[in-house]
Amino acid sequence: MGTSASRWRAAGGLAAAAAMAAIAMLGGNARAQATYEVQPRAPEFLYARTCGYCHGHNVAPIIRGRNLPAPVIAAMVRSGQGAMPAFKPTEITNAELQALAQWLSTAPADPREHGQ
Amino acid sequence: MSGPGFSRREMLAIGGAAAGLAAMTPLAHARMLPEAMDRDVFAAACRELRAIVGEDWVFADEASTISYRKSFIPDLRGEHIPSGAVAPASVEQVQAILAVANRYKLPLWPVSTGHNMGYGMATPASSGQMILDLKRMNRIIDFDAELGTILVEPGVTYQQIHDYIEEHNLPYWLDVPTVGPIVSMVGNTLERGVGYTPYGDHFFMQCGMEVVLADGSILRTGMGSIENGNTWQAFKWGYGPYLDGIFTQSNFGVVVKMGMWLMPKPPVYKPFVVRSANFEDVAAITNTIRPFRMNNLIPNGVLIMGALYQLAMFKRRSEVFSGDGAIPMDLLKAEAARNGLGMWNTYFALYGTDEIIGAVEPILRGAFEAAGGEVLTEAEMGGNPWFEHHKTLMRGGMSLEEIGLVRWWGRNGGAVAFAPVAPAKGDQTLAQSALATEIMNKYGFDYAPAYAVGGRELHHIIFLMFDKGDDASAARAEQCIDEMITRFGERGWAAYRSSVSTMDLVAQQYGQTNREVNARIKQALDPNHILAPGKQGIA
Ligand SMILES: Cc1cc2nc3c(=O)[nH]c(=O)nc-3n(C[C@H](O)[C@H](O)[C@H](O)COP(=O)(O)OP(=O)(O)OC[C@H]3O[C@@H](n4cnc5c(N)ncnc54)[C@H](O)[C@@H]3O)c2cc1C
Repeated sequence: MGTSASRWRAAGGLAAAAAMAAIAMLGGNARAQATYEVQPRAPEFLYARTCGYCHGHNVAPIIRGRNLPAPVIAAMVRSGQGAMPAFKPTEITNAELQALAQWLSTAPADPREHGQ
Repeated sequence: MSGPGFSRREMLAIGGAAAGLAAMTPLAHARMLPEAMDRDVFAAACRELRAIVGEDWVFADEASTISYRKSFIPDLRGEHIPSGAVAPASVEQVQAILAVANRYKLPLWPVSTGHNMGYGMATPASSGQMILDLKRMNRIIDFDAELGTILVEPGVTYQQIHDYIEEHNLPYWLDVPTVGPIVSMVGNTLERGVGYTPYGDHFFMQCGMEVVLADGSILRTGMGSIENGNTWQAFKWGYGPYLDGIFTQSNFGVVVKMGMWLMPKPPVYKPFVVRSANFEDVAAITNTIRPFRMNNLIPNGVLIMGALYQLAMFKRRSEVFSGDGAIPMDLLKAEAARNGLGMWNTYFALYGTDEIIGAVEPILRGAFEAAGGEVLTEAEMGGNPWFEHHKTLMRGGMSLEEIGLVRWWGRNGGAVAFAPVAPAKGDQTLAQSALATEIMNKYGFDYAPAYAVGGRELHHIIFLMFDKGDDASAARAEQCIDEMITRFGERGWAAYRSSVSTMDLVAQQYGQTNREVNARIKQALDPNHILAPGKQGIA
């Protein structure tokens, strides 16, 4: 496939074209997601994009597969116990948090998670 | 690795305390009213705010304010307790809120995502301020795929942009602080934060902003106000005085949109670490990096990571040391070596094509080896958790691993940052490291450094980890930070940024005329001082 210099140009060109096509479909102006309260995000999505970076990833305790009570989870998310940041209702809405806590309290352990 | 960090019973106790708000001392309260504001007046202001943003988005009781009270820094006298929070969803709502704040003289502390960790999170410089939480304004307004520019609102996290780039298969990379997933491009850039790709100096890569001033008027900086203009995110400087800078680390306005440049994704990326065995080696490393950062052979934001900072990410102190006082140097060195680390670990990367990297690598290798370092790559270090972490950072990837250092002393957490600037000269870094070690060890704390290398200077990021659950430890942390600021100041070294608890102390070091000019601008733009009084020492 040629030198890496030509790959650079080609890759840039192709991806940019694809991207522009995608943006054209969005009406020329790339609009992002609407505010969260319009579209609640699923517990798995939130876990992967927030909790899972620390919990089960050497930084914070494993919390899946431990049957932790949902109200405890919800309270900890809001107050940010110890080294954990607190997450505000503007980041995770009350409805999202309720679903997340419910899901986590019954979620099975994930064998790929590790650490303290 | 040890098992889960706390038992189920402990979890219940913790959760109960949080849910029931069984605060043990008045300082544990989540709220404090603005000084000299009557309870009824505050209640009336809140009613007006509710009429603007809706019932759900004004937080003015203990339970709903608790998230805004959280921080990692010491606050023994309750000096950083908000009165509540209000969360607008649009520019118009921000304007309406400012009108109410002016009428009631209600001080507002704007945050974008409010995760200013080690600097006070969302908490204000003085108690009683209401947090203006902009997180709900979370749209990526524009992404120009040809120019690689983006225009975002304050609530947009790096994770959101990362997902957006992936979803649309855009040929660009982000540059993130080490805590990208939960923090904002706007908040980080306004603090003049740093990252670790070639686009690591965030304010340098910022292009155009929209600011709501205290009187409700809307200013677009740079090219943003040109009728039918299309260069707002392409050209930084505009015409006449360049204004963007006065809205960073400041309380002169509420930034509601910001443009940034993104790095074109390179076809080849190669991360390196240089392992250095001795504390004193920081001088030779600094002198080796400087010319390569100046001539751009090393293009990215380099990190020189101290052993203790690295270990603290994934370990607790008790796993390493159980004696009295600071961890002895030889023990630290041995623990680092056991984990494949040196006393200093310098992370840099090359970007481009195989040909470019092939030409540059031998030059860098030769120089670092001559300085006594071991130059290592994926081949030797792949799988090492620290190398993997920095490999992620230097391509703008998502990670929160560094938050681990906050629980160095245990589960209560506790960390406050002191970030003096040093010129990129070896004798300076060695002298700063020696002074910080001396002061921190005197208070029984471990010196945990990271030098983020710019072109001609280094941000010396010192995380002071303490036990926030122990008032004596928190008191020592406060004294230690104050002494560091003061004694570094005596040597001509000042912080580039500061926690809400030391804003005035640091501002003093920048001189009276600076303070007065800032005060005059403040008076002109915000005569009622409703925006973030005390921010960076500006009343
Ligand atoms: C372990 C660890 C590692 C870290 N690593 C890094 C790093 O690599 N690089 C780095 O830069 N930081 C780092 N930080 C510090 C911090 O967490 C980040 O800088 C973070 O991006 C700041 O939080 P935020 O984006 O939520 O900003 P916010 O908290 O939203 O904002 C910070 C401040 O800026 C002002 N502000 C914010 N938004 C507005 C607005 N719209 N209008 C007017 N004023 C506003 C306010 O004064 C606010 O308090 C680290 C912290 C920790 C604990």
